Amino acid sequence: MTDATRAVGTKETAGAQPLWSNLLPHSTHARVLFLIRGLAILGLIVAALTTPGFFTAVSLFSLLNTTSFIGCVAVGMTFITLSGNIMSFSLGVTLSTSGIVFIAALPLGLVPAIAIALCFGAAITGLQGVVVGYFRANPIIVSMAALALITGCATLITQGRGVYPEGGAAAILKARVLGIPMPVAALVTTAIVAQLVLSYTRFGRHLYMVGSNWRAALAAGLEPARTVLGAYVAAGICTAVAGILMAARYSSGDMELGIGYDYSAISAVLVGGTAISGGEGSALRSLVGAFIIAVCQVLLLLHGFSTQIQYLAIGIIVLLVIMLQTLADSN
Amino acid sequence: MQMRTLLANRTVRPYVLLVAIGVVLWLLDNGRGAFLTTSTAFSVLQQFATIGPIALGLGLTMILREIDLSVGGMISFAGCIAVMTGGEHPVVGVALAVLFGLVWGLFQGAIMTALRLGSIGVTLGGLLTLGGLAYVVTGNVSISYPRMDVALAVNHPFLSVLSLRSVITFAAFLVAAFVMARTRVGRDIYATGSDRRAAMVAGVRTTAIILGVFASSGMLAALGGALLSYSLAAASGVALTDALVPAIAAAIIGGVSLSGGKGTPIGIVGGVLVLCLLNAGLNAVGTPPAVHDVVTGSVLFLVAITDAVDLDPRLFAMRRFWTELLLRRDEPASSKGGTGH
Repeated sequence: MTDATRAVGTKETAGAQPLWSNLLPHSTHARVLFLIRGLAILGLIVAALTTPGFFTAVSLFSLLNTTSFIGCVAVGMTFITLSGNIMSFSLGVTLSTSGIVFIAALPLGLVPAIAIALCFGAAITGLQGVVVGYFRANPIIVSMAALALITGCATLITQGRGVYPEGGAAAILKARVLGIPMPVAALVTTAIVAQLVLSYTRFGRHLYMVGSNWRAALAAGLEPARTVLGAYVAAGICTAVAGILMAARYSSGDMELGIGYDYSAISAVLVGGTAISGGEGSALRSLVGAFIIAVCQVLLLLHGFSTQIQYLAIGIIVLLVIMLQTLADSN
Repeated sequence: MQMRTLLANRTVRPYVLLVAIGVVLWLLDNGRGAFLTTSTAFSVLQQFATIGPIALGLGLTMILREIDLSVGGMISFAGCIAVMTGGEHPVVGVALAVLFGLVWGLFQGAIMTALRLGSIGVTLGGLLTLGGLAYVVTGNVSISYPRMDVALAVNHPFLSVLSLRSVITFAAFLVAAFVMARTRVGRDIYATGSDRRAAMVAGVRTTAIILGVFASSGMLAALGGALLSYSLAAASGVALTDALVPAIAAAIIGGVSLSGGKGTPIGIVGGVLVLCLLNAGLNAVGTPPAVHDVVTGSVLFLVAITDAVDLDPRLFAMRRFWTELLLRRDEPASSKGGTGH
């Protein structure tokens, strides 16, 4: 992360594209894909406009609130996907455990508790990053091993019980900033910071290069292992942000918090159009992906479809998006 | 030296591990007689019947240098199909579930080969879709299977350790072992997994092989899911068992390499038995269930590191670093710093 936080001189950003051009395609195939995506989003907007009850304060706020947790994890997952390591199955448990750590550390004060939880999240994904980056172990297997290990250890330590905060120090995290709920503000901040890191720092540029071609990156004199480690640490921090917010919102920390978040996050990343093979995509795309999924869910709900149908819909959307993705790649 | 050649054989390795774990658990048991019982053996084989078919299907796709993540959803959905259609004739339920597994596997294989897509993306979509389908058909509640006689029959122990479920699983492994070792299809699968382009040039119909392996994987997962649902007399959208992680772990412990072209069904049997023995054995000697997670995770972690691409160069660098450090410390004492390197 030292690379990420280091200020970047003009020399390095001279060849960099501005932020918005990440969203625009370059090849003909990609333009077709872009058109299809545009039409899909247009369709979604029309559906939202014609659905009574969608544009009400209650519905929009609940939409924003649920998206904020998934969005943070999705932004974190983006780093891993971009680095060419597909996905992690252990971000859900990272969310749960960092929530538990946050609640357990609250007696030390709010700021130390947040710092400890963030460090904790960064450390447990960072360890996986070391194994994946330096030894080049299979990321899927490593994340599954981590899932089993973290679940087991956390259950042994907490005795399978939830952790509850002492005092109301976490209440401030449930407050609103300028009328915006704290989770939403945190999501927007996380996404913007992540996007700035990806677009304007050396770490970000290395990440894209390592993700699209490890060997080329190595040949070009980068240190791919260190970049991968950075990606995992960033993923851990973003996930811990979601964990802290969630623990604060439900005033408890337990292993149930993060269940299913790995799948929701990777769905958001893929629906947003980040390539599963790595090296192409952005944090803002994942944010858009998370919102698209959430809007679909709310629309289905308002039209009287049950939660079951929503699960199915997300699965089919992901499958379709992955198939669409090749339209751009197959050229 | 002999031990070394034994361990180098990927098929034998899990069995060496199996014996070692057995001995350790027996020592942990410390003569209380809770571990070396037929009931432990039966529960090992029951778990084997749950994880086995899924590990076999996944293992076959991994030999092909692909991976089928959708088996996780297939277990739930195939269970739903079997329970909802098998009320009259249990065999019909299993047959329909396996048929669906076949169709779904072919569908995934077709997408992959036609669009030249990676298996991780496609089967991840498959996993989410199948999970969703299972939620839809069950209406988000657990559906119970009315035929308790069938539930008892598939689990009924005979020869004191076997049950119908574990026998079917063994049969599936035997068929797979025969096909992989003795037929042209088996050789073609290894060839496709080792080097797809070379296999294609050599005249292997790689598209058909990929379709076939993913169809088998779907069928095996469906078979496992259907039998599991019968034995628990229930089906639900929430996975009855999280079999994906143990199944992958079992295949890898069983000697299947993630880089493809390596591993045998007999090895996978050993890998599954290792995991099941660990679980059942730890249960028998009275450790809390969370310890199983820790043990499974540690084993998987170790295997992931041993199979890692850059392990040797990193270890070499570390060893050199240490040697240099030691040399530098010894230098004042002995001026002739000769080392083995």
